[in-house]
Formats: sequence, C-alpha cells, structure tokens
Amino acid sequence: MMWWGTLGFVIIEGSTLLVLAFSYIYLARNFDSWPPAHVPPPSPGVFGVQAAVMLLSLVPMILVDRGARRVDLRTVRWGMVIVCAFAIATCVLRGFELRALNVRWDSSAYGSVAWGVLVAHATLLLLETAESLVFTAVLFKPDLEERDLSAASDNAIYWYFLTLTWLPLGGLVFLSPYFM
Amino acid sequence: MSAPMPGDALAGRLTPSEHDAVRRLDQTWRQEPGFRGWLRSVDHKPIALRFLVTAFVFFLLGGLEAATMRAQLSRPENTLVGPDLYNQIFTMHGTTMMFLFAVPVMTAMGLYFVPLMIGTRNVAFPKLNAYGYWVYLFGGLFLYVSFFLNTGPDTGWFSYVPLAGPEFSPGKRVDVWAQTVTFTEIASLVGAVELIVTIFKNRAPGMTLNRMPLFVWAMLVHAFMILFAMPWIATASQMLAMDRLVATHYFNPAEGGDALLWQHLFWFFGHPEVYIIFVPALGFVSSMVSTFTRRPVFGYPAMVFSMVATAFLGFGLWVHHMFATGLPALSESFFTGSSIMIAIPSGVQIFCWIATIWYGRPRFTVPFLFVLGFVVLFIIGGFTGVMVASVPFDLQVHDTYFVVAHFHYVLIGGAVTPLLGAVYYWFPKITGRMMSERLGRWQFWLFFVGMNVTFFPMHWLGFRGMPRRVYTYLAETGWGGLNLTASAGAALIAISVVLFLINVVRSLRAGAPAGPDPWGGDTLEWATSSPPPPYSFAFLPVVGSREPLWEPGGMTVATGLRTDVREVLVTTLLDAAPDSTHRHPQPTIWPFVAAVGTAVTFITLIFTPWGVVIGFPMLFAAFTGWAWPRGDDHREQLMVDHAS
Repeated sequence: MMWWGTLGFVIIEGSTLLVLAFSYIYLARNFDSWPPAHVPPPSPGVFGVQAAVMLLSLVPMILVDRGARRVDLRTVRWGMVIVCAFAIATCVLRGFELRALNVRWDSSAYGSVAWGVLVAHATLLLLETAESLVFTAVLFKPDLEERDLSAASDNAIYWYFLTLTWLPLGGLVFLSPYFM
Repeated sequence: MSAPMPGDALAGRLTPSEHDAVRRLDQTWRQEPGFRGWLRSVDHKPIALRFLVTAFVFFLLGGLEAATMRAQLSRPENTLVGPDLYNQIFTMHGTTMMFLFAVPVMTAMGLYFVPLMIGTRNVAFPKLNAYGYWVYLFGGLFLYVSFFLNTGPDTGWFSYVPLAGPEFSPGKRVDVWAQTVTFTEIASLVGAVELIVTIFKNRAPGMTLNRMPLFVWAMLVHAFMILFAMPWIATASQMLAMDRLVATHYFNPAEGGDALLWQHLFWFFGHPEVYIIFVPALGFVSSMVSTFTRRPVFGYPAMVFSMVATAFLGFGLWVHHMFATGLPALSESFFTGSSIMIAIPSGVQIFCWIATIWYGRPRFTVPFLFVLGFVVLFIIGGFTGVMVASVPFDLQVHDTYFVVAHFHYVLIGGAVTPLLGAVYYWFPKITGRMMSERLGRWQFWLFFVGMNVTFFPMHWLGFRGMPRRVYTYLAETGWGGLNLTASAGAALIAISVVLFLINVVRSLRAGAPAGPDPWGGDTLEWATSSPPPPYSFAFLPVVGSREPLWEPGGMTVATGLRTDVREVLVTTLLDAAPDSTHRHPQPTIWPFVAAVGTAVTFITLIFTPWGVVIGFPMLFAAFTGWAWPRGDDHREQLMVDHAS
C-alpha cells in the first residue's frame, strides 16, 4: 500500500525537478553564450564523484530491499546503516557541487536556475536522509513487527528515484555548458 | 437467514455473533471525545466535513469580496473602495475562490464520498489526510490574517511578473500569495494521493474498474490532474519567492530571466486547474441524474472516456491564456485547435445526460433543478469559451469583461451549480436530515436568475471595451447601466446564498429524518445509515454490477476483516479481488504537529531563507513521531534478530 504513496510522491517531486529542468533550457535561449560571457563553466569533477557515490549507494539499498522481502532483519538493519552513511555523504557532496557551479545564484538567470536545479534536488536528498535515519532507528526497536520492514522497499524506490534523476539533472547543469 | 446488509446494524436484523462484531467495531473505530479528539482524528468523514465547512466559509468570504467589487463598480467614479484596496480585493477574491474554495471543496467531496461509494472504511493514508486538512486551514488563515494586516496580495490571483517581482511590488504582499499557494498545493496534492490510492487499492470485492460509479471516475481524474498540474505552480511560486527574497533572477529580464517563463509555468498549472475544479462537478451531475431519472446514465464508456479525454486535453491548452503576448502565430493556432477540441468530450457528456433524462423517469427535486441549471449555464459558458479560443477574437476581448463573463459562466455554471445541487443531494447522508425543498426552490431560482443578471451583461461590457481589474470608470464610457444591472444581479445571488445558509441551519436543527436512502440511489453510500457510523459499513459490501443498490435479490457482504483492530481490505487494481489487509492507525496528534511545523517553515521563509533551518528540525521531530510505530497499535508478529 505504501508503495503507491511513494509512487505518488515520486510523480509529484519528479514534476518539480522537471519544472526546473524545463526552466533551465528555456532561460538558456535568452543568452548568446551559456554560461554567459565572463562566467566560468561549472567544474564537473565533483558531479562525477557524486554520481559515482550515488550509483555505489544503490548496492546497499538493493540489498536492504531484498533483505526486507526475505524478512532478514539483520541485513535490513545494517544495510540501512550503510545507506544512511551514503545519504549523508551525498548531502555533503551537494554542498561541494554548489560551490563547483562557479557562479552565484544572484548573478544572473543562469546562476539562479543552475542553483535552483541543485537546491531542489538537494531538498529531496535532505528529506530522504532524514527519513532513512528515522527508519533505521525504528529498525533497532525491540518490538518491531514484520510489517514495519515494508518501509524498506518504499525507501528503496525513493532512493532509486533520487539517484536516477540526479544523473540527467546533474549532467544538464554540469556538462551542457560545454555543449550548449 | 440471509446475509446481513451493510447497514443492518441499525435495522435489528443481526444474529448475536454479528451483533458482537458490530459492538467491537463501534469500540475499535470510536471517535475520541472533546477538543483533544478533534485535533487527533484520523477518520475521513470528520476530516472531509471540516474541509467542506472550511471551504464554504472561504466561499462566503470570496463572495463578500465579490459583493464589494460589484458595489464599487455599480456607479461610475464611485468612491466606496480606492485603487489599492480594490487591487487587494480582486486578488483575494480570485485566490480565495480558486485555491481556498473550489479545489478543496471538490477534493473534500471525494474524501467523504469515495470511500463510501467504493465500500471501504477510510482513505488509504489516514494520518496524511489529517495533515492535509491542517495545512489547508493554516494556509487560509495565513492569507486572511495578512489581508487584515494590510499585507494582502494585490497582483491578481495569477500574480504576473514583472509587476509581482521585487522591483514593482516591494513589501511582503506577493510573498504572502506565494506561500498561500504553497500551503494549498500541499493540501491538494495530499488529497490527490489519498483519492488515487484509495480508489485503486481499497475498492470492495467485485467492484472492477468497469463497475465504478461515474462519481468515482470523476474524482480519480480530478486527483490525477492535481498530481500532474500542482507541482508546476508550487515550484513556480517558490521561484517567484526566491526572486523576491534572495535575488535570484528567474523572471528578471535585466539579468536574462524571462517574464513569459512565469506565464508558461503558471498557466501550465492554471488551465488544468479549472478542469480540476470542473471534472468532479461532472461526477456530481452523473450521480444526481441517475438517481433522479431512476436509470443508469446513458453511455457509461463514453462518459468515462470523455472525462479522461478532458483531463488529457486540459494539459494541452495553456497558451490560450497567452494569446496577447506576441508568441509565434503558428504555435498560437495549435492552441486554438486544442482549446476548441476540448468542447467535444463535454458535449458528449451533455448529450449522454440528455439521453438519460429523456429515456428515464425524471423527478424534479431541488438537486435535479440544479442539474438542469448546470446544463444551461455551462453550455453558455462553453459557447463563449469556443469564441475566445480563436486568436483574432481573443485579441479583441482579452483582458475585458467578456472573459470575466466566460469564466464565471463555466465556473459558477459548471462547478458551483452542481455543487449546490450535490449539497442538497448528500446533506441527508451526511447529517441524517433532509433540507427544505421549498426553500431550495426559492434559492435555486434566485441563484439562477441572479447569476444571469450579473454575468450576461458582462459580455456586452467586454465588447464595449471595459477592461478587467479597474477600480472605477468614467461616466462618458456609457458602462454605467450594464454595471448597475450586474451589481443588482449580484444582490440576488447574495440573497440566494443567505437563503441557502438559512436552509442549512434550519435543516440541521429540524429537518425531516432522512433514513439511509431517501432518494432511492444506486451507489453504496446509500447502503449504510445517515449519518454513517465511523466504520461506514458494518459488513463490507460485495459488488456485482454498476448499480449495487438496484441489484435484484439484495446485496452480498464480505466477512473476515478483523473488528478488534482498525483494518481495511486491499484489493487488486483492475478486478478488485481481495489481496491483503492494511492496518490503520489510532488517532494521533502528529499530523497536526507536522502541519504546524510546515506552517512555521513557510511563513518564516517569507522573511528569511533561514526559515528552512528553523522549520526543518520541527518537521523532522514531527515526522519521527508520525512514523514511529506505536505501542498501543496491537504489536504482533514480532521480529527477532536471529544472530543475537
């Protein structure tokens, strides 16, 4: 049942990210060069690290998801601890990604929309990190029920969504200035 | 003895063990008493009723704003309201009616009646439902408190840039608008998720998608439209807020931003918004037409397909709000085509209803009068809609009162009129009492005549060049007579609304007892008592046709759901075969706390971006409390870590 709720939130938040991606492409048409003249392009190195970290994080997440379906409490517990570590790491890396944009949010529409894409996705990352921490704490409760484990699968779906959306969005912001 | 009917609890036809089951249900699903219970409720009927009452309060406030505008415009160069206050009033009127009344009231009708019509006990996520209401209430209160503090928004309900940007609208008025929109979007999205998941996964056994009432289809379409449209305005309003708060330049042409970007983002939401409001009304009409003609609505597949087509097409029209912005002619022509096309599914539905009435045995009760009124008013509004869909015509009437006339005909005629009928129709179910037919007839005719006297002259005013959003006009324009007529019509509407309120209050106190099924309806909400008990149905119905209450030989019921815990049945998506059960929560304060945290975050964000930092810990704490499994929730099947 909760799967459906997660799917609903994926659609809602995916639309939010789509709005910013659309705005990014729309606003680029207002500029002769992208980034604008005298603005350095973003440094893609940090994005590469973030992308690798997020892809790596899928491994423990998939293990947690499968563990929950097998009702294997141990795998789910310790897998979620690792997932939380990855989640916190992605949040920290997001801060570095913002710096790697090499532009302020208030310098031009280019800066605003590049920050906008990163900050919107970062908000979802922060929320998901918080949710993962709470869920992990719940897993260590003494009177845990079998049905409480199903939240692991919902967590997994949302984590896959965040990873899979970051690859094209980050690519749009960090790599397209080299092609546009 | 034959199997018990869903509403048999009150009929005294139960065996002793069935009686025990009902007593346990009473205990398990009981509402907590007092103010504490009110804050902690997670049951869909009280929550939906709160939504309905709150939405109608906003309807009255929006109506007072309208009355003020009509009073000011009744004479040339009137001095009742100055330009600044007038700007706030038309903005508040639009924002209130669109965001605080029209969408929430429709979602609320769904939140109350969809679980009943599909034969389940609650919506899919009870705590989320409660949270949605509190967020809505706080958003509306926030807007009106701001208005009374002279910080009400004043740039129109659509808040166009650059007027709404930091340069031309200093202060916090537009920020209040942006955050009100955020509150209401969250609440609507919550309601949409509830409706979709409940409809897909909680239908009674046997209620295949093909057997769902047309009302339920309408609410499903409404919910999907919300899901895809609302994130656009939620994001856009935050982008506007950031332009004003932290000097981003999304909409600032001087730094490469784009004023038209705002219009695209707003209207990509704004056009589906009106169909979000309109489609549930189609569901009300179908329910009332079938009951009051005593036959199923003609052309069920065509009706379903029309509502779905309206939703899809509704996402392809938004540029018709931007015909005067200088976009390329070819792209504008495309939107002329799509805007005209959307009349087709609406037309199909109207013909199906006419066929139903023609081949049925109509009973001209007050709800049915409102259905007939809807047909007349909506057709008029639809005609003018097809007119303004044409670019050359729209270039003449854009931003004139012709457009005001058009959208009030489709919104009042297409949504409010069926809604009023729906109130007369379902008031007996919600309260257990009938409304007065006599007062209802007076109210209907006053409303119908008043509506036409108010808005029909506005077509001519538009042709004669009267622009929108002006606080007064000169006598030499010659607009005085038509404006005075429109204002007189508004007085008639106001009287009809007062009559409606009198009818509601008197009927609550002394209306005739309704019984479970006063109208002879065909859908499942009429198979239980009026008002329904908290658990809705003593025994879950099993459905074998589209009109379960009109099946010969009585109804089948399902047994086996636990009565000692709050449990609902989960069924498969297409065929509604029993699949599993879902445990529902006990009453809890955490949705309320989470809503307070949300309000603190968004209101603080108006003044400082640190609002996120301030609000986030509160939200985190509230979420923890919300999600933490509770000790009193009947812990079972405890987990053991096999390694320890």
